[in-house]
Amino acid sequence: MTALTCRFIKLADGLLRGAPVTVCRAGAALQSRAPVIQCIRTHRTNTWWDEHLTEDNASFLKKVVTEEYKQQTTDKLNPLKDEPWPRHEWVEGSRRVGLVAVKLGMMPVWTKSGERHVVTMLQVQDCHVVKHLSKEEYEGHTAALIVGGKNVSPFHRPEGYLEVFRNAGVPPKQKLTTFCVSDNAIIKPGTPLYAAHFRPGQYVDVTAKTIGKGFQGVMKRWGFKGQPASHGQTKTHRRPGSLGPGGDPAKVFKGKKMPGRMGNIYDTTHGLKVWRVNTKYNILYVNGSVPGHRNCLVKVRDSILPTRLENNKNPPFPTFFADGDEEIPEDLYDQDMFQFGEPMAE
Amino acid sequence: MAAACTSRTRQMMGLLRILRNFSQNERLLSTSVLRHNVASDGPPKFTPPSKPVIIDKTQKEASLRRFLSPEFIPPRQRTNPVKFSIERKDMIQRRKVLNIPEFYAGSILAVTMTDPHVNGNMNRFVGICIQRSGKGLGATFILRNVVDGQGVEICYELYSPRMRKIEVLKLEKRLDDNLMYLRDALPEYSTFNFDMQPVHYEITGDVPVNLLKVKMRPKPWSKRWERPKFNIKGIRFDLCLTPEMMEHAQKWAEPWRPYDMLKEYDTSSLEDHIFKEVQENLRK
Repeated sequence: MTALTCRFIKLADGLLRGAPVTVCRAGAALQSRAPVIQCIRTHRTNTWWDEHLTEDNASFLKKVVTEEYKQQTTDKLNPLKDEPWPRHEWVEGSRRVGLVAVKLGMMPVWTKSGERHVVTMLQVQDCHVVKHLSKEEYEGHTAALIVGGKNVSPFHRPEGYLEVFRNAGVPPKQKLTTFCVSDNAIIKPGTPLYAAHFRPGQYVDVTAKTIGKGFQGVMKRWGFKGQPASHGQTKTHRRPGSLGPGGDPAKVFKGKKMPGRMGNIYDTTHGLKVWRVNTKYNILYVNGSVPGHRNCLVKVRDSILPTRLENNKNPPFPTFFADGDEEIPEDLYDQDMFQFGEPMAE
Repeated sequence: MAAACTSRTRQMMGLLRILRNFSQNERLLSTSVLRHNVASDGPPKFTPPSKPVIIDKTQKEASLRRFLSPEFIPPRQRTNPVKFSIERKDMIQRRKVLNIPEFYAGSILAVTMTDPHVNGNMNRFVGICIQRSGKGLGATFILRNVVDGQGVEICYELYSPRMRKIEVLKLEKRLDDNLMYLRDALPEYSTFNFDMQPVHYEITGDVPVNLLKVKMRPKPWSKRWERPKFNIKGIRFDLCLTPEMMEHAQKWAEPWRPYDMLKEYDTSSLEDHIFKEVQENLRK
């Protein structure tokens, strides 16, 4: 009773003293009540798949996952046997899918006349078609096929990423790319793609992320000439020099080449000739150099250069099916290429 | 008679003793002494002497020298081993057609190449191999010779389709792996006759090492060969440099290099594996 009475007295005091203040305060409270945001405290769980599992569980999961993916790959080995989509013939102007490959390294190649060229070896590791987007879904002009390359473990990927692969019945891939494809070249998701999709003598475009060089100066990044090393140059040997015209614009134009981060961007090399295709290990030997470091994933597709369309006629369309009727030899060579097992002409 | 008998028996004992001595060395030789004894007993019934059976057990069965060409050993890189194994297949295929013999820096080779600009289509060059570099199919070697007073070096690709024949005229090693200093040495050390005849070499045992130390032309040289980074043992520095200059060159020594763990590359197990693979495939 005493507590209550005290409280009452206190309240009364407050009321007496701060009567006009309370009115304002109530008014203020009314105004501020509208945009009141309720903050809910959430707990962030930064955990990895292994953390709350015992060792047995973890090893069991790994085993189960590898077996499941082996099963999935063997199921998809015969795409022509389980309800394939209709196959059409190649027509001028039709675009077909490309591949995702791993850059292995480079090696020399000789022509029959003795000229030496260098080739990059691209290995097609576990390439599957993962999704088909129709014209309406994609952008309204062409259909698209999403292709994935190189199997990867599902444990460090988000659920949304793994869902796409589960729908296609295919192990999760490290890289996914979209290829714009004409309607007669669509392939059922889950079909494996092989290196024999490309034939020697064809021309391809290869896209990959270039090697990151970090923050680079203007001479390396844009190829500026810099300044002379001597003859009175004061502390100016690798600088950009002038930034543009003088008082008339009185500004530096947008897009002026300046130092900055170089590399680690997607770049395409066009018009690379395919010298050789190894069907046993699924390796493409592609002329010249390709962007990216060793063991990086690259996107390979038929060249769009107008002067090279001649060489890309009559390719395996829509793709090369390994379980079909064609029996191809282990190594396919270009006409001009010197094969190492050839006996020497005296 | 008795005395004669005893003398003969003494001779026989002596012979037996000698024979026993011989048998310790395990070399059994037939002697003609037995024949003489037989002849004295009447008309000679010719019995041919036993064939000499030389059982030479002092040396064990000689084994072929194990040599793996250095371009087979993959470099220390983060590349997929599949790439190296496929390149090796191509190299072995080429080796089945063209015989690439064993040679080192310091051996004298004769190389025949096809050349479209020559009348007879073939081009032969003789020289000393001063360097073997490159891995895989792009392996090269440089041959040096002095022709009409002009030093000539030609870099050949081992697996080029233009190679027709590689003969080793003299197989030997030198004190160094890289003989680029021959450019600054007196020309007599780089002249070799084009009509040189091949010198016979053993396929067993160790490769002969030529301990020749070369005399140099006066300085300046193309490279500072006295510096420890080149680690050259085949130059007579005492004739061209003073001890002070040699000490001054030691300023560029990097004594931590042999202890650099990041530069360690142990190829022994790789070499064994690749050697077996190469031998197996070459035999097929």
